[in-house]
Amino acid sequence: MKKRVIALLMAMTMCTAALAGCDSGKNNGGSEGGASGTTADPLQSLIDATSGTVKLTVWASDVTEAQDHTQELIDAFKAQYSSVNFDITLGAESESTAKDTVLTDITAAADVYSFADDQITELVNAGALQAVSIGYTYDVKAANAAGAVDAATVNGQLYAYPMTADNTYYLFYDKSVFSEDDVKSLDTMVTKAKAAGKKIGFEFGNAWYLYGWFAGAGLDAYLTDSGANTCNWNTGAGPDVAKAIMDYCAEGTVANITDDGSAVTGVKEGTYAAVVNGIWNSSALQEEWGANFGAAKLPEFTAGGQTYQMNSYFSCKLVGVNPHSENVGWAMVLAEYLTNEDAQKSRFEKVGWGPSNSNAAASPEVQASADIAAISEQTKFAQPQRIGGNFWDPAATLGKNLSEGTVSDIQGMLDEAVAGITAP
Amino acid sequence: MSETNENKTSKPGKMQVNVIQTRSVGVRRKRMIGAVLKNLLLAILSIIWLAPIFWLLVSAFNKDPGINYAHFFPSKGWTIANFFNLFKSNSAVMYLRWFFNTLIIAAFTCVISTIFVLMVSYAFACCRFEGRAGLMRLTMVINMFPGVLSMIAVYFIMKSIGLTESHIGMIVVYSAGSGLGYLIVKGYMDTIPASLREAAKLEGASEFDVFMQIIFPLCRPIVVYQIIASFLIPWGDFVFAKLMLGHDVKNYTIAIGLYGMLSKENLPRYFSQFCAGGILISIPISILFVIMQKYYVEGVTSGSTKG
Repeated sequence: MKKRVIALLMAMTMCTAALAGCDSGKNNGGSEGGASGTTADPLQSLIDATSGTVKLTVWASDVTEAQDHTQELIDAFKAQYSSVNFDITLGAESESTAKDTVLTDITAAADVYSFADDQITELVNAGALQAVSIGYTYDVKAANAAGAVDAATVNGQLYAYPMTADNTYYLFYDKSVFSEDDVKSLDTMVTKAKAAGKKIGFEFGNAWYLYGWFAGAGLDAYLTDSGANTCNWNTGAGPDVAKAIMDYCAEGTVANITDDGSAVTGVKEGTYAAVVNGIWNSSALQEEWGANFGAAKLPEFTAGGQTYQMNSYFSCKLVGVNPHSENVGWAMVLAEYLTNEDAQKSRFEKVGWGPSNSNAAASPEVQASADIAAISEQTKFAQPQRIGGNFWDPAATLGKNLSEGTVSDIQGMLDEAVAGITAP
Repeated sequence: MSETNENKTSKPGKMQVNVIQTRSVGVRRKRMIGAVLKNLLLAILSIIWLAPIFWLLVSAFNKDPGINYAHFFPSKGWTIANFFNLFKSNSAVMYLRWFFNTLIIAAFTCVISTIFVLMVSYAFACCRFEGRAGLMRLTMVINMFPGVLSMIAVYFIMKSIGLTESHIGMIVVYSAGSGLGYLIVKGYMDTIPASLREAAKLEGASEFDVFMQIIFPLCRPIVVYQIIASFLIPWGDFVFAKLMLGHDVKNYTIAIGLYGMLSKENLPRYFSQFCAGGILISIPISILFVIMQKYYVEGVTSGSTKG
């Protein structure tokens, strides 16, 4: 008896589901008019093929504004495709830790999640990203800046939707101490800062920042196909750069800051007139410096008698789709919706994140931002962050030792660091 | 004057008294120095221990929302707004909600695991059955493994029965294995004379009657200890909660929520609120502790003599 009831119930559910499918299909056909009849529009076929409730989970940054903004977009998305029944849950996961959480259990991870682009290789290797081979609502490659598309591409295949293009470091400075011309050269900055009794903060003990010095002198550090890093910081101008860092630090005006907290503390205390940091601390620094807040690309520095432009890592925040999703199609449409031009424009307004979408980035509001202007200047001297895990600790130790001036044998120190970085 | 003084001091009796006095002054001085040194040491130690907590407290009243560790005391003035702001939920920080989530999980875990521990302890201390010694040895061995070792396994088991991302799942995780922590309570129960139980049994009491009417009332101090200990585990746990609770901000516990407030992007805005939140979570524990304090001290020490 019981079995029969269950069978009956199941049959009924299936029928309703099928009918619901027909229904929504018809509705849409009607609203689109005759045009949609036989087109091969993938979005329309997706809508037609959808029946029942589409359940999706989204992970977005744990920043308040980002959560609010993503929720708004999700609501708008539901309204736009009102013929489909959505059940979309929003969760919080910082972009910087997304990879670890996703890889803990890919099947339990969100259908749509945002992450920082340096995690893309490992996510692709683990099968946690759906290849983006079709665009439902817009052409991802054409709409976004080339650098951002590169950042979302692995082995020639696009795997994610660029969402922002602002994750880099640049120079924040106090306009009452430095002029716009001063901040072009670190040597000038040192002179000016010294005269004002202030310091310039740089996080030498962090490999992410330290990279800018060596990359500026044309030296390489990147992940090869073999899975190990390659690094030539101990050759060519490498020792000169290391010596330069030691000299700048020994002189006392350029100081090592240990973390974001001490960068902000130093500025609040008036010790630092300039710090190298990222957009996440921009509002805190703006509040401190007020009208004197300035942002610019990183300065040039002198090493071994040569002048080099300091480089930086540049990374984007990307939105990826989980191939284990039950509704990959809709997950992709939603990911597109979260990263399209309008979403990126409103994200800049509400969250303050710099767009990767070319049109959104070109809008006058975005162009007016000092941060975005500095970032787009710096991007010319920036490389995508493609580096294996062995890079971080040896390079951080190197930077820390150089800033403390405790190195007697520069070449030996560099050799040791490179050996650690390139260890398989 | 001087003559009379000399006369007085030359008296043999007075002389002795003086010697004794100077000796006792010497002893007293030594004792004084000893006491001062001891207290000085204690003072230094207490400063070292209390300074971080005190810093957390003053930082919670900092007008500056972000971090500034160049000053011990707030440099931009004082405010209690951090506490009020903490209760104004937004989409990323829902302190009040997290607080009650944690409170609910902790309260249920506390009740369930205390019952478990009491049951296991009673069985091992007061009942005699085949395999008792073997079971006790086995539980000892299992207790040797750190709980985090089984974390991933627990996660996948819970996922397969659909209990991840739920508070019920958390309660299950915290209380399921709690019976293993029976040693202290059992040690206490061992100190209760067996003759009491035997007398009750002769009167026709069942095991349940013996437990409820004899063992339980006598065990009150150690039960209190167990209640506080069981409450503290879920209240302060981060690792399991982070793994099991998923990503819905509404479901977070305090520990995960507070951790999120320290992320790179949130730090400049939420640091002082984080400190305020840290102060507030100590309140329920303090209340629980104050209520049960007089039993607690007795409970911690009394089980330890026999085990």
